[in-house]
Amino acid sequence: MISSEIITKLETIVGERYVSDEPEIQYLYHYDFISAEPEGKCDIVIMPGTAEEVQNIVKIANNFKIPIVPWVSGINFGGIATPRKGGIVIDMRRLNKVLEVNEDDMYAVVEGGITWADLKGYLNKHHPDFQAGITWSPPGTGVIPSHLCYGMFNLGMLGGTGAEFINGLEVVLGSGELVKIGSCSLSSYWYGRQPLPDLSGLFIGFEGTTGIITKMAIKLWPKLPFRTDYLPIAQTVEEGAPMMLKLAKAGLGIIDLLFINLGWAQSLMCLDQANVANDPVELGLPDFLGLITTQAYTEKQHEAQCEAIIDICKEFNLDPLTLKEQMKSFPENMQGIMGHLTPSTGGQAPVQFWGCWNFSRGGGGEWVGSYNTTRNVVKYYQLSRDVSLKYGKPPQYYCRFMFGGHYCVTRTNINFNKNNPEEILNARKCLKEIHDAVQQLEGSIMYKPPLWAVNYYNDKMDRNMYQLIKRVKGLLDPNNIMNPGQGIEGEK
Amino acid sequence: MVQESRKYLKGKGITKLINVANQIMLKNYQNLDQYKDIFYQCGKCGNCRTAYQENGWPRVCPSGEYGKFEAYYLGGKNLLTWGLNSGKLEWTENLARIFYQCSVCHACLQQCNIPEIHNYAGEWLMAMREEAVKKGFGPMKEHTLYTDHILNEYNPYLEKHEKRLNWLTKDINLDPSGDIAYFVGCTSSYREQTVALATAEILSSMHLKFKILKEEHCCGSPVFMTGQAEKAKEIAENNVNTFSEEGIKKIITSCAGCYRMWKEVYPNKFKLNHGMEIVHLPELLITEIKNGKIDLNHSLDMKITYHDPCHLGRHMGMYEIPRELLKKIPGIELVEMERNRENAWCCGSGGGVRSAFKGLSESAANERIQEALETGADAIVSSCPFCLNQFKSNIKQEDLKAYDISELINKSF
Repeated sequence: MISSEIITKLETIVGERYVSDEPEIQYLYHYDFISAEPEGKCDIVIMPGTAEEVQNIVKIANNFKIPIVPWVSGINFGGIATPRKGGIVIDMRRLNKVLEVNEDDMYAVVEGGITWADLKGYLNKHHPDFQAGITWSPPGTGVIPSHLCYGMFNLGMLGGTGAEFINGLEVVLGSGELVKIGSCSLSSYWYGRQPLPDLSGLFIGFEGTTGIITKMAIKLWPKLPFRTDYLPIAQTVEEGAPMMLKLAKAGLGIIDLLFINLGWAQSLMCLDQANVANDPVELGLPDFLGLITTQAYTEKQHEAQCEAIIDICKEFNLDPLTLKEQMKSFPENMQGIMGHLTPSTGGQAPVQFWGCWNFSRGGGGEWVGSYNTTRNVVKYYQLSRDVSLKYGKPPQYYCRFMFGGHYCVTRTNINFNKNNPEEILNARKCLKEIHDAVQQLEGSIMYKPPLWAVNYYNDKMDRNMYQLIKRVKGLLDPNNIMNPGQGIEGEK
Repeated sequence: MVQESRKYLKGKGITKLINVANQIMLKNYQNLDQYKDIFYQCGKCGNCRTAYQENGWPRVCPSGEYGKFEAYYLGGKNLLTWGLNSGKLEWTENLARIFYQCSVCHACLQQCNIPEIHNYAGEWLMAMREEAVKKGFGPMKEHTLYTDHILNEYNPYLEKHEKRLNWLTKDINLDPSGDIAYFVGCTSSYREQTVALATAEILSSMHLKFKILKEEHCCGSPVFMTGQAEKAKEIAENNVNTFSEEGIKKIITSCAGCYRMWKEVYPNKFKLNHGMEIVHLPELLITEIKNGKIDLNHSLDMKITYHDPCHLGRHMGMYEIPRELLKKIPGIELVEMERNRENAWCCGSGGGVRSAFKGLSESAANERIQEALETGADAIVSSCPFCLNQFKSNIKQEDLKAYDISELINKSF
């Protein structure tokens, strides 16, 4: 419970209109309304309109030792923005602007609450020759959290994880101090994190427990004039994956490279639980669908790249069609949102996925999503597939190759009916069992981890690394007010 | 945007997604219980806030953009409905106020790609209002004020019924024996009489045998849209009886709200199968032009932008006919606002918002006016007197005028 005195102070900062302790408003911040993670409790929600207002809110929270949770859309599949210790949710959505685009150095400076729709819309309208890495997540979700939590984008083969797209930060620390990190700390240019000590890592992967980002510079990339999206289909993941591994190391202008199994593809078709093939493999259906996106500066270059890609596919007895051609083989009412993924089919990320990948009718979904060594892409699928089927869930597997093939993401989604408490419990068990199973594979490390996964890793991490994280957290947030109950607790 | 994934249902603007197999098919206009297994498909992902996969991804929800908190967007309302239905929330004045602070413009539904939410969220937004009324938390006091007046004087503008036809001139040729009626509506009768006059003059010039009924009452839209379904049905029954007794076979409307009530709500919600053909003025005119019965001769030399009224566009699926008609006027240059057709930004007057939530209403109107100004148009043109009245009340700039489509057609006749 937060006293009326504190509420009045908060109202003074942002205006009465942007503070609420009404139960109907709070209700939507207690829980992420997606995952199987337990509910939390929001006592008050506040919407700052400037970095200075964020600072002032944090200072009050610090004075009174009230927990604060930075929030943009609250959805990340790990319950990371769910308030675990009550307190103030700082909803950043008023800070939703693109402040600057530098086409020479190819970056954009954006505010802390900007959504993918805001960013994409701005670039489409004002800088159509440039593109940001965009997630395959809904347009209303947050750009900054996705970068900080190692989100992966449709330019993952070019630039790596979201964290690697970050050029610089402006951050409010737990003390209320405002800090600039990167080249912007010495100049008006946000071209990079070099050459000073790179302190951005103090906020990346910390799940909002060390600071609140009020500005971030993110890398942009030129939109090249020639682009093709291929959708090769193979009978099994085991057959298709080696081809992708070879493509991952071939260059060839590939900006995005991923594959999914048919379980995941059925969710793209927006099928419901009652109408999916739980085990497409058993039914003899093709279980491997790849997506290869290549782009080029000249037509000749593009033709050569495409030819080489097709040659590699043929080495593995696959003759890939383009996504547009392949989609024609699906009946109209089975196309779902497949066409939304790429410009070649009239779409563009971001994309509304859930309600789709979670087989919509239950509204609940969570994943065991891991960064991984590319050596594990098939084994991860096999292990998670077995567990999914054991729990009566269609295996939904997804693997994306990152940063020129240096590593990859492996991820298995689980859908459930969030209106059914038993199904939620069942989903939790299933997720933990998948997690345990894939831990047999050295190198599988969950990103956006829920608390149970954080605790799992705490025991296994290098002790000195663990202690260092605790010391850093304790230093930046001495009163432990920043998103307490999430991530690794700071040293007292 | 991938437009092929949806289609407009015949006679209704509500789109159905056609790219998904095995959708749950439900009836429209049911109570909350009918939809209880789909509220929670929503994960408040925010898809409902912006024009999905449009170039500029512009914001589309006046309620959310004004209220800011999640509760004011469709996602929030879906989950509040689930919370109420699952016993985690209770009816309160505040909850009711959240649901009423929305113009029910349906721009949000158009964006959501979860089929059952896309198809039915509009139903439970209205069912929640009806539930609020049953529980004594709705409507808002401003709605009660005009509803009481409608029940006594048949209009929401606190005017006397006897003044309803004050706008009518002797030049209008009415035919008491005709079986076609022009349903004028309250806004044109009392506030935007130029629309009534222009429409009647057009019909007269066409030598159409039509009449205007003195006993025409409010169509009931302001009552229905604020969750007072039973009272709205009484009003509807009265109108249907009046027009049936007069032998009317065809009704022409100039108001988008009246058109929707007669064509969609009376038969499908209230089960009043009146059997009359309901035609909105632009539909009638475009047919007559195509048949060579009308010529638009006078050049107007104007650059205009067209505002889709929610009740005509998203609620009834009529987007192209008014545009087609406007393009037939010599000298007219039609330019589009960024948010048009199914993504059109609401003018902020519908759903009881203008009477009860002035801040939201004016904010929405001003945003639309600004968007019209950005096109460089001389005028914003709509096909609904309620939108027109909203624009005229809020336009402060000299360089933008507001017209109804009937006014321009009449000038060009």
